[in-house]
Amino acid sequence: MFLFSSHNLHAELAPVPALKSHVTDLTQTLTIEQQNQLEAKLATFEQQKGSQIAVLIISTTQPEAIEQYSIRVVDNWKLGREKQDDGVLLLVAKSDRKIRIEVGRGLEGAIPDIYAKRIISEVISPKFKQGDFSGGINAGVDKLTALIDGETLPPPQKQSTNFDGFLQLWPLVFFGVIALGIFLRSVFGDFVGSGLNGTVFGGVALLLGFTLGAALLIVFVIFIISLMMGLSGNSHGGNYGSGYSGGSYSGGSSWGGGGGTFSGGGASGDW
Amino acid sequence: MKNLLSKVAAFLLVLSLTGCGYNTFQSLDEEAKAGWSEVLNQYQRRADLVPNLVNVVKGYAEHEKEVLTSVADARSKVGSLQVTPEMLNDPDAFAKFQAAQGQLSSALSRLLAVSENYPNLKADQGFRDLQAQLEGTENRITVARNRYIETVKNYNVAVRSFPNNLTAMMFGYKTKPSFTVENEKAISVAPTVSFDDKK
Repeated sequence: MFLFSSHNLHAELAPVPALKSHVTDLTQTLTIEQQNQLEAKLATFEQQKGSQIAVLIISTTQPEAIEQYSIRVVDNWKLGREKQDDGVLLLVAKSDRKIRIEVGRGLEGAIPDIYAKRIISEVISPKFKQGDFSGGINAGVDKLTALIDGETLPPPQKQSTNFDGFLQLWPLVFFGVIALGIFLRSVFGDFVGSGLNGTVFGGVALLLGFTLGAALLIVFVIFIISLMMGLSGNSHGGNYGSGYSGGSYSGGSSWGGGGGTFSGGGASGDW
Repeated sequence: MKNLLSKVAAFLLVLSLTGCGYNTFQSLDEEAKAGWSEVLNQYQRRADLVPNLVNVVKGYAEHEKEVLTSVADARSKVGSLQVTPEMLNDPDAFAKFQAAQGQLSSALSRLLAVSENYPNLKADQGFRDLQAQLEGTENRITVARNRYIETVKNYNVAVRSFPNNLTAMMFGYKTKPSFTVENEKAISVAPTVSFDDKK
């Protein structure tokens, strides 16, 4: 039997499931309680460390080899933060009896191929041989988190705001600054109104997690802009409403991959 | 007068075509180069593993001289290749590179196949670690190659599509070579390990 790359075979490839949670078990190997426990463990780890570890249990990766399927999954899921590439996938193909740990680029120092191989052969595989899938996966995850913990990574962003997500709000923010400025200046006069306008948005920035320096800068900039608008007359007030056509801001409640990339590092094994 | 007119026409033609695709070529070309660097990176990583691997195997299977020598030879051949980004534009150099790497791949699989006969070697932790590293590197090479093929595809499609192909011709952008399966017949036959020439 010869192995061609997957696009030469006309058989259908195993589909990549949608990424909805850290744990995706399509074979009902883990009980609901085990899945929830594992999910909590991985979600907590992500909150503390920033790194995204995901577990995927499927029946088979045929007609592809587990490595081919695994890289398709991580290219689609994009586990790990974009600049850190600190994602890890623990993939179990139950019928094939194959395991793979796919390591993101940024973690290749913390989890070199040798360690990934050892985790599979010495930690996960023995438990799987005894039929203890939950134990094996948890033990493997614990080893992975221990290795990643030892690595210095930038702290995770606070859950509620993400600067990149915030950028999508710019049209709304801009409109808000102008509108509030017009209102405040009409009530308090040009200088005080502009000062208040700046302070309001500076305060908002602070609450959203911007640094003090950035917030002060925002106060100053908005003060100047509002003042210039006030001093040059208020005839522009009406035009700002039409330009804004609601951006697509997806709030912090939906979870997904962080945009991390993989280069094929990790190890495979079986039991 | 006609001469002047035709010159003006040519000039205008050049102006209009520089908009058509030139910038696309720049970015796609850079992506292909980056993809290629990654491929080279991973091949280098593999080459770096070879000396350790040879040493460990020698410790247990010293008399497997033929296999060990062929690996060492293949590795030095790969090491002696002049590898530059310009290789991307030179199909001959590219083909030579592919051939040399393919030779190292075959030598390595023979080495690993032969190692199967030495249980002590297989049990050696150092050997197992090197095997893990080699497998990881081979996978990385595959991933890098596949991504490179993708970047070259995008680049080649851009260079060949009308009207961008006119701009391409004008500025000398040719299609880039991509990885091929060198010898389809050969890989469709499972490798046989022959012990006929062992003493």
